[in-house]
Amino acid sequence: MPKVVSIHSYRGGTGKSNFTANLATTVATLGNRVGVVDTDVPSPGIHNLFCLAPEQMDKTLNNYLWGDSPIEAAAYDVSANIGLGEEGHLFLVPSSVKADDIARILKDGYDVKLMNDGFRTLVKSLQLDYLFIDTHPGLSKETFLSIAISHVLVLILRPDKQDYQGTAVTVDVARQLKVRKMLLAINKVHSKLNPEALKQKVESTYQETVAGVFPLSEDVVQLASEGVFCVTYPEHPVSQEFRRVAQKIIEE
Amino acid sequence: MSGLGDLQSLTSSITAVTSPFRTYLNDLYDKYRSLNDGAVADYIPELTLVKPEWFGICVITADGQTFEVGECDQLFTIQSISKAFVFGLALEDHGREYVHSKVNVEPTGEAFNSIVLDEATNRPYNPMVNAGAIATADLIRGANATERLKRVLAMFKRYTGRDHDINVPVFLSEKATGFRNRAMAYLMLNFGMVSDKIDETLDLYFQQCSILVTARDLAMLAATLANGGVNPVTQERALDEHYVQDVISVMLTCGMYDASGEWCYRVGIPAKSGVGGGITAVVPGKLGIGTFSPLLDAKGNSVRGIKVCQDLSQDFGLHLFNAAEPERKLEEWIAGVSDFNDW
Repeated sequence: MPKVVSIHSYRGGTGKSNFTANLATTVATLGNRVGVVDTDVPSPGIHNLFCLAPEQMDKTLNNYLWGDSPIEAAAYDVSANIGLGEEGHLFLVPSSVKADDIARILKDGYDVKLMNDGFRTLVKSLQLDYLFIDTHPGLSKETFLSIAISHVLVLILRPDKQDYQGTAVTVDVARQLKVRKMLLAINKVHSKLNPEALKQKVESTYQETVAGVFPLSEDVVQLASEGVFCVTYPEHPVSQEFRRVAQKIIEE
Repeated sequence: MSGLGDLQSLTSSITAVTSPFRTYLNDLYDKYRSLNDGAVADYIPELTLVKPEWFGICVITADGQTFEVGECDQLFTIQSISKAFVFGLALEDHGREYVHSKVNVEPTGEAFNSIVLDEATNRPYNPMVNAGAIATADLIRGANATERLKRVLAMFKRYTGRDHDINVPVFLSEKATGFRNRAMAYLMLNFGMVSDKIDETLDLYFQQCSILVTARDLAMLAATLANGGVNPVTQERALDEHYVQDVISVMLTCGMYDASGEWCYRVGIPAKSGVGGGITAVVPGKLGIGTFSPLLDAKGNSVRGIKVCQDLSQDFGLHLFNAAEPERKLEEWIAGVSDFNDW
């Protein structure tokens, strides 16, 4: 049965899109059909990681939300772009990066029911095994929606006070929405911190599982937003950590 | 509202969107939106102005959770559905025995506009046929025509939680062409079953039929009855709890015109339909259903609305007398419990 995974963080800059791209790709390399929807309509970006240029996007999530086109028309097979082998497939539904489009969706809003129905249509028509939802930071109606429909919610936080507080808020909301499974991922952990101690501290604070601890990595930064790290460096410790998180999600 | 209240209300609106029950309603909508049997009511020209493709389904639970798909904001005239609720107001105004002395509660098997009274007592057969509805409208208290109309509108507001307007062209058109209803009123006047303020009462009757509602309003009317007469969202009482059973039972026996017997047998959900294309259906203690699709069958009931109610009744075991384990458990589909998978 298909599984929906939402990736969320309370604040920006946690590395959410990078995390989503790497996790989704890792799951795809294990032989799955994976979809990624960029619901970050105010500040889309994940298409860069999948090497999909704005001029290659004829239709986007925006067009679907405006009722201009079916959601399938906004799904792009990016498997080849990121060097996925024959075994897996990865589709991306990007949000528009045109300033006019962003302005229009912020001004007029959209029907959250449509977003929900679009996810379901996408899973059915592309026969997806996994649907990953990349969200805008903070709490908004698409965050609420993605949390509510997720089989697994992954909350990303950095080891700092602002993220700790914000994550507590999100955990409350997620519980209120009766989320089925919550996993925490700690990102950008600097080398002076003990990862195991940090993991235990976070787990006891939120009473939720920490699925992975990721270092503040220069290697990741160097690749910047062009391509998926775990495909380029499959044996890097960061890629191995993604495989452990992917395994937790698959086992759920 | 406190912060917690706002969070809860936002959470509940999102849960209503993601609930498997809404997905079920979506599928139902897709299943029947292409069904183009039936015809739009055309006995007055104003009614033909509706679009035959309009279709909305709304379900509101007795605790106020709202699920909707399609055109649930589209206004249309309530028509005969008003009869059930005005009957409730008449009961509040005069009590059960007096109302019963003026209007019987026996199904007729005759068309809604038949000119037939009970031969022994000269009463109209029930409050859901036109004659009975006119006799019921006659019972609505108020110092003058305006006040009586305002009381009816205020009653609908208590049920739906919002203000209602009247479609004036429909009202004037019904008034100008309602010879048959006028004849019935005079026949009843002849037998002393209605007061002599015939014109005022007929106006009130034509006005109550011309009240504008949406599929969501119809679901809320039903959900309020399902919740014992209290609007589940505003928590306002719309109908004296003692008369909830009166209104619902007459809907069950007479609500679907001369198809009421088969409806009771097959669907088993007390309901009232109107030639505007609406159906309101009450599952006591559980939920209210409102459907809107203006394509009507020969008996004046919405074709798609009937199908939707049939499916809901069958799939979730909502027939009043159902004893078998339903195919789907309503509570699980609404709550979307954690091990539920509808993907």
